[in-house]
Amino acid sequence: MKRVAVVATVYRYLSHAQHIGDRFLVGYPRDGAWHKPDMKVVSLYVDQKPEGDQSAARAKEFDFQVYPTIAETLRCGGSKLAVDAVLVIGEHGDYKRNEKGQVLYPRYEFVKQCVDVFEKDGVAVPVYNDKHLSYSFEHAKWMVDASKRLKFPMLAGSSLPVTWRLPDIELPLNTDIESALMVGYGGADVMDFHGLEALQCMVERRRGEESGVASVQMVEGDAVWKAGAEGRYSKELLTAALSRSDSPQGQSVVDGRTQDLVAKGELPKLVKTPAAYFIEYRDGLKATLLMLNGAVKDFNFAARIKGGGIQSTQFFLSPEPNVTYSACLVRKIEEMFETGKAPYPVERTLLVSGILESCLTSRLQGQKRLETPHLSVQYRAPQGSQHART
Amino acid sequence: MKISRRSWLLGLAAAPVALRLQRRPARPKLAAICTTYFKYSHAQHIVDRFLEGYGWNGTWHHPPMDLVSIYIDQIRDDDVSKSRLQQFPTMKLYPTIPEALTLGGSKLAVDGVVLVGEHGRYPRNEKGQTKYPRYEFFKQIVKVYEDSGRSVPMFNDKHLSWNWEWAKEMYDTSRKMGFPLMAGSSLPVTWRTPSIEMPLGAKVREAMCVCYGGVDSYDFHGLETLQCMVERRAGGESGVKWVQAYRGDAFWKAHQDGVWPKDLFEASLCRSHTLKPAREGFNDVMPTIDEMRGLVKDPVAYRYEHQDGVMSTMVLMSGLIEDFNFAARIDGQPGIFSTQMYLPMPPARTSLANFFSPLVNNFEQMYLTGKETYPVERTLLTTGLTAAGVESLYRQHARYETPHLAIKYQAPKPSTFWRT
Repeated sequence: MKRVAVVATVYRYLSHAQHIGDRFLVGYPRDGAWHKPDMKVVSLYVDQKPEGDQSAARAKEFDFQVYPTIAETLRCGGSKLAVDAVLVIGEHGDYKRNEKGQVLYPRYEFVKQCVDVFEKDGVAVPVYNDKHLSYSFEHAKWMVDASKRLKFPMLAGSSLPVTWRLPDIELPLNTDIESALMVGYGGADVMDFHGLEALQCMVERRRGEESGVASVQMVEGDAVWKAGAEGRYSKELLTAALSRSDSPQGQSVVDGRTQDLVAKGELPKLVKTPAAYFIEYRDGLKATLLMLNGAVKDFNFAARIKGGGIQSTQFFLSPEPNVTYSACLVRKIEEMFETGKAPYPVERTLLVSGILESCLTSRLQGQKRLETPHLSVQYRAPQGSQHART
Repeated sequence: MKISRRSWLLGLAAAPVALRLQRRPARPKLAAICTTYFKYSHAQHIVDRFLEGYGWNGTWHHPPMDLVSIYIDQIRDDDVSKSRLQQFPTMKLYPTIPEALTLGGSKLAVDGVVLVGEHGRYPRNEKGQTKYPRYEFFKQIVKVYEDSGRSVPMFNDKHLSWNWEWAKEMYDTSRKMGFPLMAGSSLPVTWRTPSIEMPLGAKVREAMCVCYGGVDSYDFHGLETLQCMVERRAGGESGVKWVQAYRGDAFWKAHQDGVWPKDLFEASLCRSHTLKPAREGFNDVMPTIDEMRGLVKDPVAYRYEHQDGVMSTMVLMSGLIEDFNFAARIDGQPGIFSTQMYLPMPPARTSLANFFSPLVNNFEQMYLTGKETYPVERTLLTTGLTAAGVESLYRQHARYETPHLAIKYQAPKPSTFWRT
């Protein structure tokens, strides 16, 4: 039975550490059965113990130890690495924000400490890093490079790429994508990451390998509507994406009616602080993430396919508290822990971490377009579909 | 003029009501006959989709037809029809059903009827059935058909009637007069997670739906969930021999005794996105039976045997889950076949009840083509099953023989649920 260490910022109800970590303790729904991973959580590190901390209670109930340092957690108090896999969950907790609005979650610091143990002990094991690798692309790059150098499999990112899709579509590998759009909601440096990664898991399947991003620009406010009017993102794709939404706000909330938000010109009325993330890939593809708080509360994607019309879908964030989308993610993590192979490339998350950071830099620098030569991240999309469909 | 041969023959056979068969206009006019129209009432979900359109196939879809008249039986304080009538002057409110159908004239003046007899204040009978006036509305509609010498397609929301005899009469009338009739729930046509279909001709042995809600209400949705899947089995639907209901302690005892298969029950729960955590501090954990007993105050099951021996069980577990989950055992297939019929349900999780979109889209096609996209016999059977379940509960869980439910039909070959 594989031994798992959990390295987390906090472990309290509905934190990522709780809903991901718990699935290794109590199991999770998978393919219509309750699946219990053939793994044992043997150690836990929590950086902060806020009110509602569950670390001690979980350790007691599930017979593992909470250690005061990451190194001790990975060595289970001994002198050598004593686990077969590590879950790094640096989401939630009380951390500062920088001037770009990024929360300074210590994911890099956590992974670095894991890597230190791997190097000292001469053994490395698979690591899952929750959400983006780091607020800093440089740090993120170091993390991925370390996994290559020490040859340990690494998986990272959001649940969105692996959750259910409504409808259940996948773009075939080598699809000729002409343009792509994602509509999402939530705060910057939090939910935008999910939108960007869901967008990336679709566009990475386009013809040719992923070759990275040439430039980004983030704009806010009226500039978002102006960019739309100038055709910088397609009204048709926006209509397609929003046609997939189950949560239009405004009049739908008032009296339940369906609304074509685009044709009726409702968006500027509903969205007080729109944000657009413009991404130009090195191969020329243009993609946009629109964060439309006040208009919708779900994530919807649309892309124009050469000769194939528009493809669109909703990335289904199933309701709290079950958040079964995190079970879809845990399945992938478990697969890596079990097989030693990441089911999809960590470079996806590396690229998205960099896109997000550069977009937030663009915003800070007067919403100007930024060349991103450092984002020439290359990788090949997985052959098979990785999202929930069974 | 396109004439359905079957309707024509049926029309002849029932000479007194043999009606002139209609011409199918390029842009049909519809009348909506509703009990009430408030936010999140079925009438609001359905009629609004004709007025405002709805998201479909990745674009904004405006049905190629006009809903020109509406009758509303009860205008409540929270009515929202007034704002619709102001905003869409092409839709007119009529004080009676015949006037809505004739647009104030003397003859049927619409090409399709949408009957939404759900919600509103109607009395309940001693068995707990709400006496929604679907049959009464239907009778008035059909009277206009008869008086006008022609009939048009009709959609009836949910079960045909709380009263089996009346439901059967509604069905028989539609067959005799030869007009297309569709009915039922959104459950058969909504998204599924995973997006799978029961293979046509599957050797289904045993099927189960674990869902939530009340008797004479969501039980019907659970039964339609089951029926849209099991009707695809080898040999087609053969009807139901008997129904037995279980409630409260009798439910738990039956569960304990293995009256229905525990593995299908658990598989169904494993498809849920809303499994109530029995333990504080956990967000997604499979409860023990004792924990379930603590969560579910009023469990209900309807177990029934089809004419060909296949067994089905519909279970209401309010307090444990808030979704509709299906599981079946199929001969020759390893494991259990299971999925969730997903309802994006407002207001807690969404703002739109978009499961009405595939329902509307299906019967929209009927108004255009004159063909039912799936057989109304499904809903005739589930109407009878709902009433039989209620009857068994009323008779202290006695097994209720249902020779009247020997309803045979074949499932449609193509899938009609939402997958695009």
